[in-house]
Amino acid sequence: MSHLGELLSALVDGELSGAELDRANAHVAACGACRVEANALRRLKHELRALAEVNDSNDITRRLLAMGSLDGPPGLVGPGASVQARPLGRGPGPRRRVRATGERSMGDPYSALPSGRLPGRRRGRYVLWSTLTLVVVGVGTAFGMGGSSGSTGPQITPQLEVYDVQHAITSGDVPFDDPTDVPARVPVVAATP
Amino acid sequence: MRNGLLITAVATVTVPGLLAMLAVVGHEHVAAEAGVSAAALDGTPPSGPFPVAPATARAGVLNNVAAVQRADGVPVTVFNRVTVSQKAEGMRLLDGAADASLSTSYHGTELISQSSVDGSVKTVSQVWHQGGGVTLVETSDTASAAARPANVSVASSDPASGSPEGVFGVTKSLVALLGKHYVAVDRGGGTAVGRKATVVDLYRFDGSVAARYWLDKQTEVPLRRELFGTSDEVISQDSFVQVKFGALAVSQIAGRGAILAQSHASDQSVAQSAWVAAEPGQILTSLAGKGWPVPGSLPGNLPLYAAASANTASGEVVDLEYSDGLYVVSVFAQRGTLAAKMPGWRQVSVGGQPAFVSGHSVTWAVPGFVYTVIADAPPQTVTQVVKALPRDSSPGVLDRLGRGFVRIARAFNPFG
Repeated sequence: MSHLGELLSALVDGELSGAELDRANAHVAACGACRVEANALRRLKHELRALAEVNDSNDITRRLLAMGSLDGPPGLVGPGASVQARPLGRGPGPRRRVRATGERSMGDPYSALPSGRLPGRRRGRYVLWSTLTLVVVGVGTAFGMGGSSGSTGPQITPQLEVYDVQHAITSGDVPFDDPTDVPARVPVVAATP
Repeated sequence: MRNGLLITAVATVTVPGLLAMLAVVGHEHVAAEAGVSAAALDGTPPSGPFPVAPATARAGVLNNVAAVQRADGVPVTVFNRVTVSQKAEGMRLLDGAADASLSTSYHGTELISQSSVDGSVKTVSQVWHQGGGVTLVETSDTASAAARPANVSVASSDPASGSPEGVFGVTKSLVALLGKHYVAVDRGGGTAVGRKATVVDLYRFDGSVAARYWLDKQTEVPLRRELFGTSDEVISQDSFVQVKFGALAVSQIAGRGAILAQSHASDQSVAQSAWVAAEPGQILTSLAGKGWPVPGSLPGNLPLYAAASANTASGEVVDLEYSDGLYVVSVFAQRGTLAAKMPGWRQVSVGGQPAFVSGHSVTWAVPGFVYTVIADAPPQTVTQVVKALPRDSSPGVLDRLGRGFVRIARAFNPFG
C-alpha cells in the first residue's frame, strides 16, 4: 500500500479538498502508520505555533525578536500589534500570510516584528540628547565666562578727602565735609586676587 | 537601563552648566535689585537758615529775550530790558570780585547749602585768607559740628592761576568762563551779612536767572551767592554768616597755620597728593593714547578748562575740571576697580549706572577704571554727566556669549 507521503502534510495543513481529501482520510483511517505520522505532524505544528506566538506584554521577547530583524523593512508593527508566526506548510497562499493588526505581506518569518524603526529612533534620540547637552554646556560656559571683565587692576576706595580739596581749589569754594568718618576714607589698596 | 544611564549622563553634564548660567544671571538680578532699591536721586531744594523765596516771588528776574540772527547766521540773544552799560558793569563787578578775593584779607564763617545727588548738603567752614597769600579752611558739616569741630583743613592755592582761590566760586578763570556762557547784569544795591552790597544777576541766554551775587560794597569780596535751576528754584546758597576784613584776620593765620601744619604732617594721603597742572588739550590726547576714555566736554555746556594729575597712595589720579563758569564738575579717574566694601558710601543708580554716592560725590567703576565725580551742579546735571562719562554697560547676550567663546578658545589654544 502506498502511503500518503507529501499529501499527509497537506492533509494536516488542511490544504486538501474534494476527492483527494476523501481518499486521504480513508487511507489514514485504514493505515495506522499514517495516522500516527499525521498525529505527530499535528502535534509538532501545534507546538511550533505555540513557540512562535508573541505575547505583546512580553517586552523582552519583543526586543529580542526586534534585535534579530534589524534589516527588515521599517514601519511594520507598532506597539500593541499582535504577531503571529507563519503557519507551517508549503506552497503559496495562506502559509505566507501574516495576521497582525494590519495584515501585511512579509518575506521573512520575523520581518513582521517591531524591528528597524525603533533602534533608529533611539539612535536619533542619542544624537539629539548629545547635541543638546553639548549646546547647553557650551552656551552656559560661554555665558558665564563672558560676563566678567576679568582682572581690572587694584581695588581702590576713592580718596575723597583729597579729591574734595582739589575740587575746592579749582572751583573757588570751600571743601565739603562728608558725614562719614575720615578714617574710613583712608584709601584702600589691595592686590588683585 | 540604557535610558537610565542616558538620563544620568545628560543630567551630569547639563545641570552644572545650567546652574552656572543661573548663578550668573541671578547675581546680576540681585545687583539690579540693589540698584532699584536704592534711593532716588532727585534732590530736594535746600532749606535752612536762608530765606528761600518761592519761584513765583522771583518771576521778575526773567528778562524779555529776543533772538535775532546775524548776517552770518549766528543767533544772538538780546535782552530788551538790560542796557549795554548794565551788562558791562556786571562783568566788571565780577572781575573786581575775583581780584578782591585774592588781594583782600578776611576771616569769616561760611555756610554752604547745596542740593546734591545724595540729598541736601550743608557745610560750615571757617576761612582765613591773607591778601595775596594762603587761604586756610576748616570745614565741618552742620550735623556733627558740635561733636567734631573740624575734620578737614586745607591750605590751598589755585593751580590754574597759581594764586589762592576765590570766594563762592568767583575766581579769575571761572569769571572768564562766565562771560562766555552767561550775561552778568548790575542790579544795584542790597545788603548781606549786615553789610552794604552790590547785587549782580547772572542770566542764561534764554533770559532766566542762573545766579545772584552780593558783592561787598567796600571790598568787592563776594558775601553771598544763590544759584537757581532752570525752573527758577534755588539749588545752592553760599553765604558768610559773619566776616571781618583787614589786618586783624591776618594775625590769626599764623597760629592756625601751625595747627594745620601738624594736621597735614599726620595726613599722608594729603601729603602725597601733589597735583601737577596740565594743559587740558594735551592731557586729553595723552589719556586717549593710554586708553583712558574721557570726553572733552560734558552735558550742560561744560567744557574742560583745567586738568591735573597726581600720584596718590592708590596710584596715578587724573583730575579733569569741567565748568561753564558757574557750575564746576571735577572728574577724577584712576586705574583699578572699586573695593568690595565701600564704607561711607551709599549704593544707588545714577542714570542707570550702578554707583556709590557720598555727599556731592559719585563714584563708579568701568572695566579697568574708577571714576569719581564731585560736582557743584544740580542733581539733574550730575546725572547727565554720569551718563556722558564711560559706563559699565552690561554686554548683550550675544556680546557676552561671543566674549565667552573667545575666552574658551583662548583657554584651549595650544599656541596661545
